[in-house]
Amino acid sequence: MIARFRELHETRHERARALKAQGRKIVASFYALAPKELVHAAGMVPVQLVEDRDARYETRAELLPYLCGMSRNLGGQIAAGALDYLDGVMVATVCDTNRHMVDVWAHQRAFARLWLLRTPAKDDDGAIAYYAGELRRVGRELGALSGQPVTDDRLGESIGLFNEHRALLRRFHAARPASGVSAEEAVHVVASALTTPVEEHSALVRELLAALPPAAPRAEPRLMVSALNIPMALDVIRMAEKYGATVVTDDLSHSPRYGSAEVPADADPYRALARGYLRRVPAPGMYPLEERAAWIRQAMDQAGAQGLIYLVQLYCDAYAFEYATLKDRFDRWKLPHLRLEAEATPASIEQLNVRVQAFVESLL
Amino acid sequence: MAELDLKTIQKKVTAGASHRKVVAAAEAGQPICVASAGIPNEVLLAMGVSAMYPESLAAISSGIGKAGPFFEEARNRGLSAAVCSYTRCGLGICWTSQTAFGAIPRPALAITDVNMCSLHATWWAYLEDHFKLPTFYLDMPVTDDPSAPDYIAYYAQQIREMVAFIEGNTQSRLDMDRLRAALAHSDRAGLYWRKMLDLRKHRPSPLSFRSLAGWVLPLVIALGEEDTADFYEALYHQGVADVQQGKTPAQGGERYRLIWNGIPIWHHLQLINYFEEKGANFVWEPYTSLNWGNKTSTGRLDLDRPFDTMAEKYTNVYTNKTIERRFQYFDEAIRDYGVDGVVMFSNRSCRPQSIGLHELAELIQERHGLPILFFEGDQADPEGFSWDDARMRVDGYLEILEGRRQGTPA
Repeated sequence: MIARFRELHETRHERARALKAQGRKIVASFYALAPKELVHAAGMVPVQLVEDRDARYETRAELLPYLCGMSRNLGGQIAAGALDYLDGVMVATVCDTNRHMVDVWAHQRAFARLWLLRTPAKDDDGAIAYYAGELRRVGRELGALSGQPVTDDRLGESIGLFNEHRALLRRFHAARPASGVSAEEAVHVVASALTTPVEEHSALVRELLAALPPAAPRAEPRLMVSALNIPMALDVIRMAEKYGATVVTDDLSHSPRYGSAEVPADADPYRALARGYLRRVPAPGMYPLEERAAWIRQAMDQAGAQGLIYLVQLYCDAYAFEYATLKDRFDRWKLPHLRLEAEATPASIEQLNVRVQAFVESLL
Repeated sequence: MAELDLKTIQKKVTAGASHRKVVAAAEAGQPICVASAGIPNEVLLAMGVSAMYPESLAAISSGIGKAGPFFEEARNRGLSAAVCSYTRCGLGICWTSQTAFGAIPRPALAITDVNMCSLHATWWAYLEDHFKLPTFYLDMPVTDDPSAPDYIAYYAQQIREMVAFIEGNTQSRLDMDRLRAALAHSDRAGLYWRKMLDLRKHRPSPLSFRSLAGWVLPLVIALGEEDTADFYEALYHQGVADVQQGKTPAQGGERYRLIWNGIPIWHHLQLINYFEEKGANFVWEPYTSLNWGNKTSTGRLDLDRPFDTMAEKYTNVYTNKTIERRFQYFDEAIRDYGVDGVVMFSNRSCRPQSIGLHELAELIQERHGLPILFFEGDQADPEGFSWDDARMRVDGYLEILEGRRQGTPA
């Protein structure tokens, strides 16, 4: 059953093309701060742009050398035609690179449609009202593209479906440390959530929760891995476990974070989305620092993690900067942690071996 | 205005003078604010709040070769060298409470914008968190259409909230007469800044980009002050006199007229001099021409609508415009200023300024066929910058320009 999630993730492009062949329109979010509920309510299939390790993409990236691996990789995917099934991309900014990649894509006419969401950095009443208006504008345009207007009722239903999905992922995340689901398998559960129709993924997670594999003996030390880039996270998980550790929980920007913020009930569904997304999804730089640090500590406590590997993808300002703010607290709390910084390439990751091994041994 | 007056006024607006003003203000009991470039200075001035600007201090520290200890402090605090050098150096300044000019007074509050770059949000969040400073974020969501009325209205409301924030955290109160006076000075400074830049359309252009890079400072940190307006008015008159005398920083006469695209390389400003020594003169830059100078539709500030006019000006951010719109600026400048070539600074610290450079270069070459030289490096951190390599590349580039001048493509 668990292998199904991996398959969903790895065949996401083929599956999207099959949906396209059935007449469905597909719109991507770049990244998780762009509400998929809007796309869903317009009758289209929402997916998320995700990085993918493939040498063909790296060689075709043709971008500035100091951009993060995520952006370079997506540039490569576009150049290679891997995302040719998309009818549009909806962008909510999390960093300067992600924001200005949109300029390049617009110039290249990389996608048929691009929506840059004017997303406030605050969540006060003025910001909520402004963002609700912005979502309403984009909702109208999505409805025009699909031919199915985004009505309040449809949007309310979509919000309900995604909230249910988030709740399921939260349940999975809470149950995982005591189950027989490995860290690597857990990454695939979440990665597949990003690109699979929500109804289908919810059904699968429900099935998984009903029959979680029993816990196997766990080697010590137990760790949490915090990372942005999925292939890099998988590399580091394998590396840590190769040296005897068990990664019992993770803090992938796509996973517990995606499931962390439920869109609240509100008579106006656009305002509900604004309230659910502004400063509620714990993306570095867009979330209160105190809460972010506390969340990591609490998640480690709940999973019984003894140490943290915090992986910074080179040129990801958000993570690099967030680390400096977290470090203050980690040091104060005497929370064992290892910061790693690497490019999203196998050669760069390989060089982390010694440090990961030393960190694992230091916790024994 | 006579040259002597310019020198007298200039002494009042130097970085050192600004630092002394902040120290004096603190001693007089005024609240000190840690502010980021691009916030409405005029409001601070009208409320009697004195500000220090870590980005400017970082650029200055780099320019005078004194940024090293601040970068070192940032490294020790766990900040990756891949993070923006203004941020690392600026935080180093805050952590050490030192600048190149002496100790900084204890700030009472912090204010930033969150649009010019997204790092401002995390940078100031860190200040708020680490130094326990009341902090205000002037929200300006990313956009590719900063002229949208609802967008400008949202920012105007942000400025009003900034006033309320200052009033809630200090004894300062907004005096509307002082605000209008500050805006009048700001308007005059912006007006003369633009008039001065227009002088560069003359052949030869009388102004040096190296000088302009330094002269920008009062626009960043002292807009709204009378001295600042006087300074730019005096500079303009000096520029007019220089035009009449045919002065130019290009040695041996102005042979090539260039555009510089990007933030100056503060740690090697002598690179600009090297161009000038070889007869090349920078006559237009987005950095100087599009970031300052009453960026409203009329080119003037409307003193009867203070919040709206500030909102229109401060939301008009160059990097929030599409690549096609940015190209239009280049297209116009290349024609209006008679440009022979473009130098692009691919700046690893500044993604907003650097992403899209190659696409912009393609458009320029398609339309105008101008030779383009790329530099890669960092605005404030000299790590990895090779002066020998830079000069060699300039030499090669100027050979190409000379070949074109003589009708023999290199």
